[in-house]
Amino acid sequence: MGQHDRYDAIVAGAGHNGLTTACYLAKAGMKVLVVEKNDWIGGAAVSRSLHEGWTYSNCSYVCSLLRREIVRDLELPRFGLQVIPYEGGASFTRDGDYFAYHSDHDALRREIARHEPRDVDAYDRFSQTVIRQCRFIRPFLLRSAPDPTSFKVRDLQELLYLVKRAHGLGAKELAETLRFWTMSIGDFLDEHFENDLIKAHLAGSGIIGTGLGVYSPGTAYVLLHHYMGDVDGAIGAWGFARGGMGAISKALGDCFEEAGGKIVTGSGVDRFQVEGGKIIGVALENGDEYRAPIVASNMDVKRTFLEHTNARDLPEDFTRAVERFKIRGSSGKLNIALDALPEFPAAPKNASFLRGDLHCSTSLEELERAYDDWKEGQWSSNPYFDMLIPSQIDPTMAPPGKHMMTVFVQYAPYDLLADGKRSAENWTEERKKAFADCVFDKIEEACPDIRQRVVHAEIRTPKDIEREVGLTEGNIFQGELTFDQLLFNRPVPGYANYATPIDGMYLVGSSAHPGGGVMAAPGANAAREILRKLGKTTSKVATAA
Amino acid sequence: MSDKFDAIVIGAGHNGLSAAASLAAHGKSVCVLERADHVGGMASDRMAHLLYNPLPRGVQAQTRQIDTVSLSPDGKHVVLRDGIASYASGDAHPDAKAFKTLHARLVTYAALLNTLAESAPPGLDQGLTSLAGLREMSRLAKLGIGVKRLGKPEMREFLRILLTNVYDLLLDEMPDGPLPGALASDAVRGAFAGPRSPGTVLTLMYRLRNGGSVSLPTGGMGTIADAYANAARKAGADIRCGVGVTGVIVEDDIVLGVTTSDGGKLLAPAVLSSAGPMQTMQMAGIPSFDIEAVRRARNLRAKGTTAKLNIELKGRPEFTGLTKEQSKSRLLIAPSVADVERAFNPAKYGELPSAPSLEIVMPDGQDRLSVIVSHVPENPKSGWTEKERGTLTETVIAAIEAYAPGLRDQIASTDLLTPADIARLTGAPGGHWHHAEMGLDQMLTTRPTVGMARYRFGVRGLYLCGASAHPGGDVTGMPGRNSAAQVLLDGVA
Repeated sequence: MGQHDRYDAIVAGAGHNGLTTACYLAKAGMKVLVVEKNDWIGGAAVSRSLHEGWTYSNCSYVCSLLRREIVRDLELPRFGLQVIPYEGGASFTRDGDYFAYHSDHDALRREIARHEPRDVDAYDRFSQTVIRQCRFIRPFLLRSAPDPTSFKVRDLQELLYLVKRAHGLGAKELAETLRFWTMSIGDFLDEHFENDLIKAHLAGSGIIGTGLGVYSPGTAYVLLHHYMGDVDGAIGAWGFARGGMGAISKALGDCFEEAGGKIVTGSGVDRFQVEGGKIIGVALENGDEYRAPIVASNMDVKRTFLEHTNARDLPEDFTRAVERFKIRGSSGKLNIALDALPEFPAAPKNASFLRGDLHCSTSLEELERAYDDWKEGQWSSNPYFDMLIPSQIDPTMAPPGKHMMTVFVQYAPYDLLADGKRSAENWTEERKKAFADCVFDKIEEACPDIRQRVVHAEIRTPKDIEREVGLTEGNIFQGELTFDQLLFNRPVPGYANYATPIDGMYLVGSSAHPGGGVMAAPGANAAREILRKLGKTTSKVATAA
Repeated sequence: MSDKFDAIVIGAGHNGLSAAASLAAHGKSVCVLERADHVGGMASDRMAHLLYNPLPRGVQAQTRQIDTVSLSPDGKHVVLRDGIASYASGDAHPDAKAFKTLHARLVTYAALLNTLAESAPPGLDQGLTSLAGLREMSRLAKLGIGVKRLGKPEMREFLRILLTNVYDLLLDEMPDGPLPGALASDAVRGAFAGPRSPGTVLTLMYRLRNGGSVSLPTGGMGTIADAYANAARKAGADIRCGVGVTGVIVEDDIVLGVTTSDGGKLLAPAVLSSAGPMQTMQMAGIPSFDIEAVRRARNLRAKGTTAKLNIELKGRPEFTGLTKEQSKSRLLIAPSVADVERAFNPAKYGELPSAPSLEIVMPDGQDRLSVIVSHVPENPKSGWTEKERGTLTETVIAAIEAYAPGLRDQIASTDLLTPADIARLTGAPGGHWHHAEMGLDQMLTTRPTVGMARYRFGVRGLYLCGASAHPGGDVTGMPGRNSAAQVLLDGVA
């Protein structure tokens, strides 16, 4: 038997949300322990050295959604967090042209006009709508979702807040909002733009991380999920965390430890221990046990309840609801060490947009076909990717003169089809290599010398992401962002307020409202709920105005 | 005959006729103008064959409820009747219980939502402080109370599945096969969507709002159109076929009447159009409309996806594994939800389906197979030449022949109507069954689109009364009836 230490609260999993919850609880004066299965903290926000001299943000790779209210509350810059915005991006065509997305508005208008004069004003209309929708949704991120079936004062208050905000839009805007939320990104772009390449460039944000195609209703909302962030107040901008995404986790970890918290790495939770419907602590895989009246799980809802909680401790209908929670792996990743900056012959030398997100998809049809492959259990033969070279802006990522490249690839299935059977076990080394080759072939369309530049490449399939980070099926959002799993339905109806059927046990990861992305909102919201439950109302947790 | 009326209805489809009947019943003089030489629009034997909803009051025709049989490649066909599933052989179906529970749940939810279909979509235009605004809110509140009365677990389930997709809904409850395949194909028939597309649970519920039974008009679909026309005539409406509307006369933003294809002019303070939003705008002249409204009408999602194949036979075909009586059911070829999704793929790219899902009916007293072919693009990339028409016909025949050996030898002739043909013959935008996609973004307050949802159409006196208006498609007459109610409420006729 291992030790039997007592704490006020235990957080299972040191992802950015778990750490955020831990920080808030520790700052409220609680004695908090964070346990983490890996030897490092961060979950999917990590910086790893997998090839000497290089640092990989080998899961999440860019930053924008991290709520600034939380950054301020926890004083993350004091702990070394620095987010550097990157400028623009581009989509390359097969015939040597490209569409450059400049962050300078005039430059962007000129570039759009070069491809399609009619799309210039359409772009302004498009971005107005998107920004309006972002403004509408942002305040909800740092609030708990109301339970519409409840008559509790707090739920009614939250519901009233929602109704008031909606009513404040006015009839026309409200109808417009309903429409936007239920639309596909493809239809939304089709009604604004004429040019295929421009549409393809803007569509990516609607599908990244989901098991949906560009023409699936609801993907316009996913677009918001990628636009509602900011870097230093620049709405919709994205940036790199200096030192890789692990810098966020490191800052959170340092903040937590300064507040008196303790982190134990190297052994994950084996069992959430429950007695008489109440949580009493956790038992780790290495046999250690810890006790606390409050336990917060940063693992996704499926992993938490189906793998590490005894079924007898849960109501049957809850277990059933968790079982049908949709969490589908749809993306893979390549992390590549380069011996020099690769050439993009189509682009002007030193073009600023090369420091942004690069793509090679040229039409919505191509993106939708990539989705069709995935539905059948295959990786996309013509994949979409979001490719960046952060070492151009953050020199700490690679040795001098060398570079690091991150390629997010969609779609890649978790349960790969091979020999007539769909199984995650089908991801053999050989097939992983074939998958990477398929991506490299596509990158070569824009960057013919890419293969010569590669020093080392890490290939990550949904299966690998699940194994290392613990995200079920390798889903980067800890659950699909579809209507049946948003707001009061996330993760399951009736449990959207971070509490679970087990007294004292909370869910603080992205499986909870408002969902995935390195946002830290679920973690902060959950901390607020926990502190409220404990009557520690004097401790402030970020809430959007 | 007078050339002045209280109201003119453009198009004698079932919605136009239903609007005319409602107005005439309120003592208004109404003239219905129809371009074709017969009434009915899409409600004709050539284009449709079944009713999913009961006929409205006053419309009388002979119908009989029929079973649904979902054909299975392994011969274990599934018979569906009122939420009960069993094998055609009479054996019990292992998923019958799950199906029954799910069906009952969906029917309950659908009935709740149906209250929204019965009048204009709830709006917020009047705010919350005026009497009219409160009346709107009270309608929503009524639905809210209905939902609350489901009880907590059911209400949660309702809110969870409302906006989601049938693929997950069905496969969460039962393994894939012809049983869920049948429901999936019902959810997407007529739609530009696959079972995986969110919003398809709502389209399935739209089908189930009157219990989900299917009836066959004993005398053919034409008798339904005639019944609608008779009801309108009985109420006093004047129906003129073979006279198309060439333009709506608008002066100072007020409707005065219409000009007709025979060079005539009919005057009325109210004009109800069962054509699509864009066609209606063109008739009234684009400059009469706000530029934003025009843009929205142009962007309306109305990609027709449904073709009809009529196969005249020299005798009754025999379906393997079905009795003579069973083969008179509604036969579905939708072997699995995955197959229905796969069938949708080519339509997205303007390609012909290689294994479409089919709905097959043998109308009473005829040796004819009436086949609805899902997921056929309106304008294939290759165009509709004789070659494409032949390919599609052949694909469908081969698919049916797999279940009815020897069918080919019995064929006397075939008649294919592509979505493009349906658009040409009926004027339905894109040849779309519902005139506008029944997507979440084109429903209720946003049907057909933002700012046009309450039948009033830009110019004073001009109204939409077709399937592109709320609540949408299928032979219900509801958009027509609701539109007429709005006309009466506005006091323009």
